[in-house]
Amino acid sequence: MNSSPIIAVTGLHRGENPQPGSAVIRSLRRVYPELRIIGLVYDSLESGLFSEEDAPDAAFTMSYPGAGVEAFWQRLDAIREIERFDVLIPCLDAEMGPLVDSPEKLRERGIHVCLPTAASFQCRDKSKLSELCERTHCRTPQTIAVNDVNSLHQAAATLGGNVFVKGRYYEAKRALTPAAREAAYWHMIEQWGAPVLVQENVEGEEYNVIGLGDGRGNILGSCSMRKMLRTASGKGFGGMVVRDPQLDAIAQSLIAELRWNGPFELEFVKPDGPRGEYCLIEINPRFPAWCDFPSTLNCNLPAAALELALGWQPREPLRRPMPGKFFIRHAIDMTGDIRDLAALTTTGQLIRQAHEPITQPAFAHNA
Amino acid sequence: MKLAPPPAPIRHNGHAHAAKLAVPSAEFTHFDFHTVTWQADGFGFDATTGEFFTASPTALLVMQSLSEKLNRQQILERITSTFEVARTTAERDLESFLAELAHLGLTKDSN
Repeated sequence: MNSSPIIAVTGLHRGENPQPGSAVIRSLRRVYPELRIIGLVYDSLESGLFSEEDAPDAAFTMSYPGAGVEAFWQRLDAIREIERFDVLIPCLDAEMGPLVDSPEKLRERGIHVCLPTAASFQCRDKSKLSELCERTHCRTPQTIAVNDVNSLHQAAATLGGNVFVKGRYYEAKRALTPAAREAAYWHMIEQWGAPVLVQENVEGEEYNVIGLGDGRGNILGSCSMRKMLRTASGKGFGGMVVRDPQLDAIAQSLIAELRWNGPFELEFVKPDGPRGEYCLIEINPRFPAWCDFPSTLNCNLPAAALELALGWQPREPLRRPMPGKFFIRHAIDMTGDIRDLAALTTTGQLIRQAHEPITQPAFAHNA
Repeated sequence: MKLAPPPAPIRHNGHAHAAKLAVPSAEFTHFDFHTVTWQADGFGFDATTGEFFTASPTALLVMQSLSEKLNRQQILERITSTFEVARTTAERDLESFLAELAHLGLTKDSN
């Protein structure tokens, strides 16, 4: 291992559906400002690469998940020939499977991670959520996995017609008509592969719990919030910290049952009215894009995950964020340089350094 | 949460005025009603749900009175001694507001 560990983070695009990587980097630098962090990206236009505040020190392009698991490991090895990173913090759902399935490959390479076991990872899969919820006495919408269009329509009819069509790893589209369901089905197949999940639609307020499990059934730190603002695709664009003992108890019960190790996000819907009960929609096996918000309230979960991965003593205690604090997402424009884009596109790597400004072409004076 | 229209507050110099609440209410900075913490300025925050509300001075007075376990008659007394309002009007609006609170599951049907 390097004397000062090098950290690799994925998921750096903070577009319409923001990925968590840049928020993870920002949180890590709050506690460890000198940390060397490299970004593993799938596109040279991932916005986090061009941020002044939370860009990685270097970036490398990865092979697309569709290229297969072998290509994934080969590319990781090739990157480590150049930049021998010690810790990997994966931030995208599609990356998680190959990593949790092969802890020995990580171990033999000396890559430290903070990930769940393959068994607990499987137990929170969207298609198995109802079994988990039955064991923990938690409500969850009825969900049916389908592999063809006929099953899709049958499942929708069984669930009353008003359903969400969800991708295996990511994305959900509300679909009320057969045509909308089919369009959503083919979109999910194309993006995420089979099966596609058809889920009963539960209307209500959305609540999310972010946290870090220690692998023994305990939650080391967490923050719960109600989504205050939502994008057209349902992503939280603002959230208010809440503290509800009932929500805490459900979260504790789920994480204890899973013996979850590492970061997680629990997504709930609570139907309106005094009798509404929390309904678990899904469990994300990674940090969400809002993970830096609790870090501003002395609950730095990415830093704690890094310490857990390395076996370090926590530098700061994880505090419980106070209800009433909230975040609002603010989209701004980043300035990029064509030379960075060229480096990433042609060589697959970018080592950040200050550029001299491009001088104004001579002909501009004659215009 | 929508609150029933309150009785008109006392007016001074022709301007609507958020009347001070009757003793002992005048001194409060905040109070808890159900799961919502209400500030004297009428802003309420529910820490368990993250929702926030605003309430008229009259609604605030009623909820504070309920949190102090006052009964209907005592609340009515407090309203009429605080606001310039006919007793029958206050009684009707109070009934309406209490019914709405009960509908929201914030009080029992009778007080």
